[in-house]
Amino acid sequence: MNPHDEHKEGIGGMANPRRYGIERVAYWLMRLTGLGLLGYFIAHIYETSNILRGRVGWEEFLDLTQTTEGHIFMTLVIGMCVFHTVNGIRIMLGHGGIGVGKPARPDYPYIPASQNSRHKIGIYSAIVLAAIAMMYGMAVMFGE
Amino acid sequence: MRESHIMKIHYATALAAVGLVAVHILMRLTQGFAESLEYENVVANYQFLPYAGLLEIILILLSIHGFNGLRVILLELKQGRVYEKAVSYGCLAGMIALIAYGSRTIFMVNMGMM
Repeated sequence: MNPHDEHKEGIGGMANPRRYGIERVAYWLMRLTGLGLLGYFIAHIYETSNILRGRVGWEEFLDLTQTTEGHIFMTLVIGMCVFHTVNGIRIMLGHGGIGVGKPARPDYPYIPASQNSRHKIGIYSAIVLAAIAMMYGMAVMFGE
Repeated sequence: MRESHIMKIHYATALAAVGLVAVHILMRLTQGFAESLEYENVVANYQFLPYAGLLEIILILLSIHGFNGLRVILLELKQGRVYEKAVSYGCLAGMIALIAYGSRTIFMVNMGMM
């Protein structure tokens, strides 16, 4: 047996967005946004714990986030959150057998029934809704 | 626990969190974003018991969902008995630590221990 497994590509294989079209991009974005949101959630729990330092401690920490850079970061978080939610609902529906098509004989060019227009529309909708939410978030944060 | 049960928990926590986080965000927008983050407002939010309960539930739901998601990503990258156990218990420990740290803030502010 060959000790080198050429199919084992690790992170590079998982993150390669050039395979399988928009579905692979969605797979990649789902994991990236998930990790980003977990990082933000941990930071948010730490940020809010500053309330225990009293008014001065809270306002000192809040000043760090109420900047242009802080608002841009929050805009990215909003986009990640909306994409992750909408695409997550699409995945849940797919796992429940909704919108994946009927089983059929695999014929050339062997396009899986699950990679159909309904799910592609779901992915594009997630991207568009994330962009709209980011614009709304920017209007709220930069409008004040 | 079977993976199928874990995925059901993963999806259930996601759906519940979507609704509750929407309420959490709406609380920020009803008052005006900057005003809602003023010290008095934030303390008042924590000391309003139903809202503190909502924050605690969101904390638990998102910690379970987030750390299970991390576990799934890490298990996709590499497999092996020792590695899988280390990832699963590591994520469980992270989840418990985050819930404990977040709960400490909620309980202390709610009880006025600042």
